[in-house]
Amino acid sequence: MSGRHGMRVALVVAAILFALPGALLYLASYFWGGWLLAAAATLAVAARLLSVRGRKAGIDWLKALLSRALIPVIGIGCALAIGAIIMLATGYDPAASYAALFYGGLVRNWSVSVLNAVPLIFTGLAIAFAFQGGLFNIGAEGQYYIGVIAATWLGLRLDMPPQFSIPLIFVAGMVFGAALNAIPAILKVKTGAHEVVTTMMFAYTMKTIAPIFIRANGGDPTHSSHPLTTDQISDKVFLPLFKTFLPNANYRLHVGILLAIVTALVVQFILKRTNLGYKIRAVGCNPVAARTLGISVAWITMASLLISGAIAGMAGVTQVLGLDHRMYGDLNAGYGWNGVSIALLARNNPVAIIFTSILWGVLDAGGQYMARTVHTPNAIIEIIKSIILFLMLAETIYEHFGSKISARLSSRRLQREGGRS
Amino acid sequence: MSLFSSLLTPQLLEAAVRLSTPVTFATLAAVVCERSGVTNIAMEGVMLVGAFFAAWAGWITGSPWIGVLGGMAAGALFSLLFAWAAVSLHINHVVAGAIMNILSFGLTRYLMMVIYGRQGSSLALAHTLQEYKFAVPGLSLIPYIGPAFFNQTPLVYLSMISVIVLAWVLKRTRLGLSIAASGEHPMALETLGRSVVKIRYTAIVLSGVLCGLGGAFLSIENSDSFTEGMSGGRGFIALAANIAGGWTSGGGFLASLFFGFVDALQLRAQSLGIIRIPAEIFLAFPYVATIIAVAGLVKRSRPPAAVGKDFKAEGGDE
Repeated sequence: MSGRHGMRVALVVAAILFALPGALLYLASYFWGGWLLAAAATLAVAARLLSVRGRKAGIDWLKALLSRALIPVIGIGCALAIGAIIMLATGYDPAASYAALFYGGLVRNWSVSVLNAVPLIFTGLAIAFAFQGGLFNIGAEGQYYIGVIAATWLGLRLDMPPQFSIPLIFVAGMVFGAALNAIPAILKVKTGAHEVVTTMMFAYTMKTIAPIFIRANGGDPTHSSHPLTTDQISDKVFLPLFKTFLPNANYRLHVGILLAIVTALVVQFILKRTNLGYKIRAVGCNPVAARTLGISVAWITMASLLISGAIAGMAGVTQVLGLDHRMYGDLNAGYGWNGVSIALLARNNPVAIIFTSILWGVLDAGGQYMARTVHTPNAIIEIIKSIILFLMLAETIYEHFGSKISARLSSRRLQREGGRS
Repeated sequence: MSLFSSLLTPQLLEAAVRLSTPVTFATLAAVVCERSGVTNIAMEGVMLVGAFFAAWAGWITGSPWIGVLGGMAAGALFSLLFAWAAVSLHINHVVAGAIMNILSFGLTRYLMMVIYGRQGSSLALAHTLQEYKFAVPGLSLIPYIGPAFFNQTPLVYLSMISVIVLAWVLKRTRLGLSIAASGEHPMALETLGRSVVKIRYTAIVLSGVLCGLGGAFLSIENSDSFTEGMSGGRGFIALAANIAGGWTSGGGFLASLFFGFVDALQLRAQSLGIIRIPAEIFLAFPYVATIIAVAGLVKRSRPPAAVGKDFKAEGGDE
């Protein structure tokens, strides 16, 4: 038995050793890193199978894994099919559009997909964190903007070595993001005001007053038809680029994606392994029961919303220090709503959010490529995204059809057995 | 003193009533939904879809009246999808509402490209409902209040009529009582042999018609074309107005008037330019006012007991 255990540990370690460089390479468009990822996945499955006793249990586990993967595959497939019907009905070529979409998103502009995913991972995590505590931080976009503002303001002014200034800017962005959620949190606790209304209103407020900040920091008000931007921040606080260690990586790809993945793992750890996370999930599941367990629902509500705001603030900081290097006045970024989609799609699981963000990033980058090359309006991507969301969340559809299919199968089996006897 | 007198003009009151109209429609929608036990955050998106189809139908046919019908129909159909998701598929109401909002942004943007071939604003209508502004004889002569309430455009009047009709429906009719029961104690309603599912579908579709009217006001009465994202958070402001108005039709109307007033004040202060403050500060007034209203008034009222809760009849067919 102990030999088996040792082997399992060895397999897990090997899987991690393959996965880390594989992921790094793949994210940087070195697609052969995918082989390393595939090897890591095989090793992980093998390790898991070793820990299950007996052949049947192993097969059952594999079956469960496949059936869990089935709903996302069916959901995405059906959404693409509905999208194709919409395209046909409105006079666009679905085959060419999808070819451009996936070629653009997965191959040609894969680096754009990865860059798109970075802020989405953060806002998705922010929303999922609040969700776990039973709260809907629908205004994450507002906290994103305040993170952007904090990063730009400090980035334009701080003059110190990057190993001090970059962490300082992150802390500032997180504090501001949390501060923006402080009033909704206090109102929620003191008066019961619904956080959907208050966080959303703060998001609209931030969006509305942001141009004031931009004009104060270099935006040119005489060019009102151009998108307003601030001056560029000091290049000393730019996040490091992949190019510095992988020379063929895209010149814009920054280490923000790694930071986002690490943040996802940290959030997972906080939620699943710490006392705070346990309390947050308890309040999210059943506040009444949590109160009888002696948990202060008010404090936990405050904590979830503030931490959620801090994570959303990080999204803004990463975007400014990594990619934009300034604040843009074109504020229809949609990170708030897309963050909601991503968190829902991942069922608030922090690790799954990494993957749903990348899926969304691929659809966005591919959609732009599609609009540029075959001129299908990329708003179709927004429609497809919401259909994916709809189909993945409506479990009862599958229960309904699943029970129908299994009923038909069992009746057929009965007939067959009846005919034999 | 002079600042106040230059701000508080009859024109300001007139604008306040006018600008409260889309919020009033959406607030009535929120009242109906929440009273029936459904939390509806999809209203923002329903208004947007209503505004788009009102502008489109009005543009195609050349008649703004058909545009109104188009907005109502689109609002009803789009809400039907929300009802299916929230009531029949048992998706959490807030989650289903969020999906509907996301769908509405994509749908309107896509249709803009397909129909008008451009982003931003649709082509302008030749005739808008603004042309049908009329003064109610007699009533419009009352000082201050008369010109503000009784010299308006058709949908403004319709919103006021809707307030009264909805108050009557909720208080005096069998449907209204069923809606209230569906929100307070759905199981009791089911035991009486009435279907909670049907009542909630009715309430949601009704809310869709109202939001469609609110959207139509934005695109073909207050303006002459559809602009992307033109609902501007009014669906969420309406949620706040519903709470501030204590889940009643009349209270919701008063709260909407307050938001209309803030909106009008914002426009007036901006156009006067007497205070050297960036225009964006004024633009943010309605949002800040919403937060303050929710903060100050939420404690006094009580929501329906079963609002936002999924309903599954035991042994139910679907």
